[in-house]
Amino acid sequence: MSFLAPLFLFGALAVALPVVFHLIRRMTRERTTFSSLMFLLPTPPRLTRRSRLEHLLLLVLRCLVLGLLAFGFARPFLKGVVNTDPSAAAPRRTMVLVDTSASMRRANLWADARDQVASVLRNASPADEVAVSTFDRQVRPLVTFDQWQSAAAGGRAALVNGKLAATSPGWAATHLGDALITAAEALADTGGKTRAGPRKIVLITDLQAGSRLDQLQGYEWPQGVALSVQTVKARHPGNAGLQLVTGSDDAVPEAGAGVRVRVSNAADSQREQFTLGWGRADGRGMAGASVTVYVPPGQSRIVPVPAPATGVATDRIVLQGDDEDFDNTVFVVPPETARLRVLYLGRDSETDPRQPLYFLERGFQETRRQIVQVLVRPPDAPLPAADAQAAALVVVTDPLPETRAETLHDLVAAGHTLLFALESDAAAPTLARLCGLARLEVVEARPNNYALLAEIDFRHPLFTPFADPRFSDFTKIHFWKYRRLDAAAIPGARVVASFDSGAPALLEVPVGQGRVLVLTSGWQPDDSQLALSTKFVPLLYSMLDYAGAAAPAPEQYFVGDIVPLAAARGADKSALTIRAPDGSQLNLDARETNFSLTMTPGIYSVTSLQPPKRFAVNLDPAESRTAPLPVDELERLGAPIAHPTLTVTREVERKVRLENTEQESRQKLWRWFLVATLAVLVVETWLAGRTARRLTAQGEATP
Amino acid sequence: MSLATNHPPATASLIDPQALMNIRNLELRARVVVEGFWNGIHRSPYHGFSVEFTEYRQYTPGDDPRYLDWRVFARSDRYFIKKFEDETNLRCHLLTDQSRSMTYGSRGYTKADYAATLAATLAYFLHLQGDAMGLLTFDEQIRDYLPARHRLGHLRHLMLALERPAAGQATNLAAPLRRIVEIIRKRGLMVLLSDFLAPLERLEPDLTALTACGHEVIIFQVLDPAELAFHFDAAAMFQDVESGRTLFIDPAAARKEYLRKLTAHCARLHSTCQRLGITYHRLATDRPLELALFDFLRERMKHGRRVHRVGHYVGRRPG
Repeated sequence: MSFLAPLFLFGALAVALPVVFHLIRRMTRERTTFSSLMFLLPTPPRLTRRSRLEHLLLLVLRCLVLGLLAFGFARPFLKGVVNTDPSAAAPRRTMVLVDTSASMRRANLWADARDQVASVLRNASPADEVAVSTFDRQVRPLVTFDQWQSAAAGGRAALVNGKLAATSPGWAATHLGDALITAAEALADTGGKTRAGPRKIVLITDLQAGSRLDQLQGYEWPQGVALSVQTVKARHPGNAGLQLVTGSDDAVPEAGAGVRVRVSNAADSQREQFTLGWGRADGRGMAGASVTVYVPPGQSRIVPVPAPATGVATDRIVLQGDDEDFDNTVFVVPPETARLRVLYLGRDSETDPRQPLYFLERGFQETRRQIVQVLVRPPDAPLPAADAQAAALVVVTDPLPETRAETLHDLVAAGHTLLFALESDAAAPTLARLCGLARLEVVEARPNNYALLAEIDFRHPLFTPFADPRFSDFTKIHFWKYRRLDAAAIPGARVVASFDSGAPALLEVPVGQGRVLVLTSGWQPDDSQLALSTKFVPLLYSMLDYAGAAAPAPEQYFVGDIVPLAAARGADKSALTIRAPDGSQLNLDARETNFSLTMTPGIYSVTSLQPPKRFAVNLDPAESRTAPLPVDELERLGAPIAHPTLTVTREVERKVRLENTEQESRQKLWRWFLVATLAVLVVETWLAGRTARRLTAQGEATP
Repeated sequence: MSLATNHPPATASLIDPQALMNIRNLELRARVVVEGFWNGIHRSPYHGFSVEFTEYRQYTPGDDPRYLDWRVFARSDRYFIKKFEDETNLRCHLLTDQSRSMTYGSRGYTKADYAATLAATLAYFLHLQGDAMGLLTFDEQIRDYLPARHRLGHLRHLMLALERPAAGQATNLAAPLRRIVEIIRKRGLMVLLSDFLAPLERLEPDLTALTACGHEVIIFQVLDPAELAFHFDAAAMFQDVESGRTLFIDPAAARKEYLRKLTAHCARLHSTCQRLGITYHRLATDRPLELALFDFLRERMKHGRRVHRVGHYVGRRPG
């Protein structure tokens, strides 16, 4: 028999109490009044042999009660066969994840992290399997389980340390959630073994507040994978970061305006006063005037930095006054303005607010980074081929002559997109030609009151920007007139939106490599309220995007981002040469359209293009948030945090205790002890009562 | 006081105190004792006291003119003072302890009952003799004081005062004695009824003062037989009736020490009395009262007429 709480057995020592009480002569509760106690001394209770002999049975019963109670509280159980050595069955698998994000570049963090890895390796027994990976935006295996096992037991630590020494923190952001999930999945994959040993992820990180954890939200951790977090702490807390503000895309740039940067100061920072200014392109200090900025800890300020002085090559803004300088530089490339052309074929006047062109021209407003030019050509006027080729989108609202329609059909078939607004049934032959059909039936539909867009395919690229429920309400747009056509009559036509009567409102008709978008109503006020609604401009731009017009390039990329170069390359399909900030030349294969080797912040330039295309790659602003995150945050997201001090023996002890508890709760022997205690108590009460009665009777008989 | 007897009453005729205490009326109880007592003694009282002329004395300046015999002056034209032999009655004060310790009794009646009956008996007896009786009851302080008088209703008042239940917490003999010394200037007989279960150190100077005033003092120490023998057998929590203090006492173990201390206490009281010329009687409450009365009278006889004074009284009794 074993006990779950053997300490309670000490309670059995309480059996000494009734023995002592029985030895002590019972102190009477009877009171005798007496005139004066001045001649009396209190009599000490005396031990007598007589009383013990008299109530021996009572004494035994009382001792029994206490003993049974102590046994019951000790939770006895009959021990079965328990496998107490789980580690013998399967080796422990440990995945060490080392943070190599940009924030680890701070003073002592990387050295501390390497020390921690070394201590983890020291604690690993030869039977254990250990893998080491580094992570920032992505997880990079350093030493896999297979490499670990194939290495000699003595040389494993050296292997890992050697590889770690060759590694250093990069410049990328911390995607901690992704890394944890990747590691957990790797551990969860037991390789077909039925019984897996304890599996653990050892995370060595600075656990900065800028770590991305949102991936962990809703992630179901695999059973049996524990997470142990070992944080490294910066010797000097606090950090200020610099971030380029790129929100003002729509504003028309003012002449001579500079850029705006956000200076954010970490909550645990001790500095508040910083200076900013344009830095020289060669990295040697600041050029021109500097701006002083006061940022209290935990806050951020957006600071406009005036345009740099002419004559000095500047390409970055530098923050001074911060201890940690890994995030104190942002690289700035002046944004290029993209020019797009939209070809409009119609007889409209630009100034008539009852005509479609009026709204089209106002829909494409000039912005800082994109200028859309609407080329208006009367349908019967000659159309230069260059104009047609350069157009990102062709808009037709009027019936076209036969030849012109044929030309446009060829243009569309070559890969262009054409928007055809069907303003009258007279345009039916033109539409038929454009779609490559002999004829098309178009009927003028006159709804009783008005028609609404009833069914919209929000999965279509034209409407995906509206898919959010906040923007998906099209019921405010009333259509007074529309033209009914049979979508089934057009081969390959896809109805993107339809009216409440079921008639198609917007169709996509594929023609060759291009497509014709057919709007069966006009947007001018005579036909509908579409042009006056808030949906019109976004719809125009999504048509422009759908037509394949290059989206304006972002002002900056972050380290690790993929830079699309297809648009910049254009028709030129040769290999590209890209110069990295450190001066090295990288070649991009002719088949590749994306550049992904943005490993360090700085300005990259595609030198093989004329003029060279430059783009800035900056540090992810989240890396500047270096205040440590509480480990509870991981626990809150469901990560099974293991106590780092839990050693193997403790683990085994815990397991044994768990199994003992299980057995005990199954057997529940304490209940029987309790029942026995109650039974003995009943007997004891009866016996004691009888003895007391007998004594009283004796006392009365002999007063 | 003119009582003369040599024979103690026959024991057979004595009244059992237990039976006596069943009589509820204190005065009746006293009467029973006294009548029973008289059954065994000579019947000689009821001779009235008289004021006997002794002599004339020539007036000297300073004498009280009230005592001038104006008839002689009228006859002889000379001033004479008329002197009487004033056979004063006994001026007896009963000092009764009514402290809480007196409420103890193991025989169905308390020591206070016994003491009150004894006091009443003495009062009744002396009243019958025409003596002036005073009463002072006390516990830790003086409760009732009746000056010594011999009037018709006085005995009744006295009985009522004696019947009042004991209420005091502690026994303090010193304060009443000191008060008596202050109040009673005239010499007389002081009968002190108490259990004397209190420290004796403070008692002695006050008794000395009492005797120094010329009072004759008789002490009756009233004790319960249980207190004298301590014949308890079962161990119990003993509670002090005065202080309420409780002690666990095993009588078998404590008896010897108790009796030793009690005997020493009584012996000390006795020796104090002897030294001061005080008559000391120890009365167990199971003792017939007649015997106590007999003791009292025998003592009185032994001392004779110690209260025999010559004075100038015309009015015989003090107011």
